[in-house]
Amino acid sequence: MRVLSDLRHRLRALLRRSAVDAELDEELRFHLDLDIEKRMRAGLTRAEAARAARLALGGVEQVKDAHRDARGVALAESVLQDLRYGARAMRRSPAFSATVVATLALSTAALAAVLTLGYTLLYRMLPVERPGELVDVAGIRRVSAPERLSTSEAARLQVLGPVSHPDYLAFRNGARTLSGLAAHYPTAPLFVTVDGRGREVNGAVVSANFFPLLGIRPALGRFFHDDEDRVPDRDRVAVIGSNFWRAHFGASPSAIGAHVRINGADFTIVGVAPASFSGTTNMPIELYIPTMMLRVGYRWCDDALAADCTVLQMIGRLAPGRTLADAAAELPTLAPAAWAHAPQGENSGVAVTAPRGMSTDDEEPRLVRILGAVAIVLLLVCCANLAGLVGAQAAARAHELAIRASLGAGPRRIARQLLTESAMLSLAGGVAGVLLSRAFIGALAAMFFAADDEGHPLQYDFSQTPLVALATLGAALAAGVVFSVASAKRFLRPATGRRITQRAAARWSSGAWLLGVQAAAAVAMVAVAALLGASARTMVRGRNYDASHVALIRVRPRLVKYSADRAQRFQRDVVRRLEAMPGVESVSMVGIGSVLGGSSIGVALPGWSGNQRLVSNYNEVGPRYFATLDTRLIAGREFDDHDAVQSPPVAVVNETLAARLRPEGGALGATIVVGRIERRIVGVVKDLSLRSRTHERESWVYTPFWQNPAQVDSRLAVRVAGDPAALLPAIAREVNGVDPDVPFAETITLESRIAALMRPVRVSATFVGYTAVLAVVLTAVGLYGSLAFAVARRTKEIGIRMALGAARGRVLGLVVREGMTVVAFGAAAGVAFAAAGARIVGHLLYGSADADWIFYASAAALVVCVGFVASIVPARRAAEVEPLVALRCE
Amino acid sequence: MPEPAPRLELPQGTLDLLILKAIALEPQHGWAISERIQQISNDALQVQQGSLYPALHRLERRGWIKAKWGTSDSNRRAKFYDLTRAGRRALDAQTGAWRALTAAVGLLLDTP
Repeated sequence: MRVLSDLRHRLRALLRRSAVDAELDEELRFHLDLDIEKRMRAGLTRAEAARAARLALGGVEQVKDAHRDARGVALAESVLQDLRYGARAMRRSPAFSATVVATLALSTAALAAVLTLGYTLLYRMLPVERPGELVDVAGIRRVSAPERLSTSEAARLQVLGPVSHPDYLAFRNGARTLSGLAAHYPTAPLFVTVDGRGREVNGAVVSANFFPLLGIRPALGRFFHDDEDRVPDRDRVAVIGSNFWRAHFGASPSAIGAHVRINGADFTIVGVAPASFSGTTNMPIELYIPTMMLRVGYRWCDDALAADCTVLQMIGRLAPGRTLADAAAELPTLAPAAWAHAPQGENSGVAVTAPRGMSTDDEEPRLVRILGAVAIVLLLVCCANLAGLVGAQAAARAHELAIRASLGAGPRRIARQLLTESAMLSLAGGVAGVLLSRAFIGALAAMFFAADDEGHPLQYDFSQTPLVALATLGAALAAGVVFSVASAKRFLRPATGRRITQRAAARWSSGAWLLGVQAAAAVAMVAVAALLGASARTMVRGRNYDASHVALIRVRPRLVKYSADRAQRFQRDVVRRLEAMPGVESVSMVGIGSVLGGSSIGVALPGWSGNQRLVSNYNEVGPRYFATLDTRLIAGREFDDHDAVQSPPVAVVNETLAARLRPEGGALGATIVVGRIERRIVGVVKDLSLRSRTHERESWVYTPFWQNPAQVDSRLAVRVAGDPAALLPAIAREVNGVDPDVPFAETITLESRIAALMRPVRVSATFVGYTAVLAVVLTAVGLYGSLAFAVARRTKEIGIRMALGAARGRVLGLVVREGMTVVAFGAAAGVAFAAAGARIVGHLLYGSADADWIFYASAAALVVCVGFVASIVPARRAAEVEPLVALRCE
Repeated sequence: MPEPAPRLELPQGTLDLLILKAIALEPQHGWAISERIQQISNDALQVQQGSLYPALHRLERRGWIKAKWGTSDSNRRAKFYDLTRAGRRALDAQTGAWRALTAAVGLLLDTP
């Protein structure tokens, strides 16, 4: 009963507040009237009686407040009231509110974008059933330190490696901590011909239990039967991805049972994977074949199913009740006996990890950390800016608040109202930021995460998670509390009466250090953004090569099992045909890896003893390779058509290797041993590599493509006069015209390839650039706002000064000096911050550091100029003050 | 005219009891309640009028009193408060408790 009556009263008090208030008013009025009558009967005049009665009641407002407290809904009600007041305050000063919301939105959006980026790259689970139970199982390999590794990276010379099919069976059959273990090779280049049209797609070779283990159901047809994955080369069945189904079969059910040629072999399509799943990596998979078809999907082993062909990755599901630690303890005991004494570079241990995130790159965690730090700095700059803005706003409202205080609102009540207003503004900013961040992450994804450095499409699920949205809202709220606490604190103090009569003096000095911090951050961000941007540009043109006019294409006769003879005939024809194309200046190729890339090899001088050798980067390059890349030779010549199998073995070395082999000079003409073959150095070329500042100089040795009789595949580089992108289709047509059966791929420009390789640099340049622009704008707005406010507050003082004879120029100088002092100190600190920041992103910077000071100086100059413009406007307003008007306005 | 007794501060929590007692005979409006407490106590007890109305509301919420709009002696609309059954029980219980307390305290103070 009591609970019910209680609840009824509270609800009535809350929902019918105005009725309850009106009743209370009437009741109190009645009380007062009776009291006045009584006091008048005692002989007081009406006025005296009324005053005494009011005193006895103790202030109608206080009684009302106390009464509301007694209603038991005081908190909820006064919060509602605060919200109403807040909404009214926001409507009353829309410019202020919009500025706060926009500032917060722009900075929290950056934070939310970084959080989403980090979540997707480092944490997001696979879109499959109960992804938390999945484990990746891989071999651990010890590798020798390639020369290009820096010392910090040399500490962890272990890499995870795939395993052979017999290894996989040993793990699968032995594991008790796993309810299942599947094998997959998720990056199989498959050349598929459907209805006579051929193209290369990214395929996967998977064990029959792969789909059931992940808990995926087919969109159409079925997945592989266990029996279809038991006998090598027998069951030619394939499952296609959802995109492939749409592209080649128009999503028609007739796809089931259709025949396709995969790397030259006939397959029957038995099922379609659902649209929600396109593989476990960032390269979407369009086609799946069973592991017993590995010989079709993998061409680099004589027998892809043999024990010496390590190509399969493993993914398992933990058995009920088992943990990752259980599996990590059990699986090493199942490793094949041979692993115990495996040589360097082969599997010798077992790693069990939880598959998290889409990152494939060791650089990405560091990138996310750096961007996160930048986003937090931006948020702090935003806080500093808003603290100044809100301080000015609160000072402007001091009058209103003082009146409310003297009408009986407690100081805590006022402080709470200010906090409520800030919370409303910052939540609005946070919500806007969360929404805006979708556009940001969409832009980042489209610009940088759409394709890899070979032009293959990538897929990242950058959808926003509630976790990220919540964290962003939390950050916005925290920022709101930080910037409002300062202004709210002032109203917790008593002495309200004084504040009404004596309007708060302009508190310019308290905001000065906040502005200085903003200016410093702006300078640092502008400088770092410029350094990163210059790095990204340097890598396209200028580092001893010019990538802006080079087209690439990869030809792969190996996929269709061409002999070396036939493949080389094809290659020569391709080069001849391409060279004859209008607009083509030169054509060359590499035999190993990609253009500007390669592998490593041991290099020695003939006199060196036993095992003494230098590990150098290495590639086999065609004639005119350096001319095609526009790289200068320091001495000698580069390879030409005469460097063939029958001619004497030759080599070209880069400057760094030449200096390491012959510090005293004279490398040209010397004989070196490259691998096992003695070669004469016929040329020394400028360094040509993609190393950043924190990496050491790299040695490179090049040998002639045509001196390797085993050449089959190659990546071609074509230097053109005009836009290489425009010529790509014609180049592809030409190559296809030479032999339509030979798969070709990776038809992209060298510029876009480098751009993809430089993704961390470009992502951070873009991101830091964004924050730099925002920081500069915020600094300018903050400076302008503070000065304009100070000038408005000090109109009287300025008027007096001018009345006493101060010249207008002096007043102007006074205000500008005040602004520029802050900016100058900030800029000086900013240069120091910039130098520290440049060190943090050193691994992303390319090219010499000699010219860095130009970026620091320009950034400081830019911020000082912006600061000057922001101060001159209020300064001119101050100088235009008419002394008489100013003195009259108080 | 007798010298008015010195004004006493109400101990915490006794206002509720006094209000219940003041309306035990018949429903009263707020002003009458404060007058009645003052009169009966011979002006010794002064109800802080500011705390009267919150207390009334508190009691109403607790279900011990109920309010009804009626007409005052001067023919004006006024809010009259009346004891509920629960309120009467509470009055009895609290009166007993108060008596026990004052007796015990008196006993203690009288002990030489």
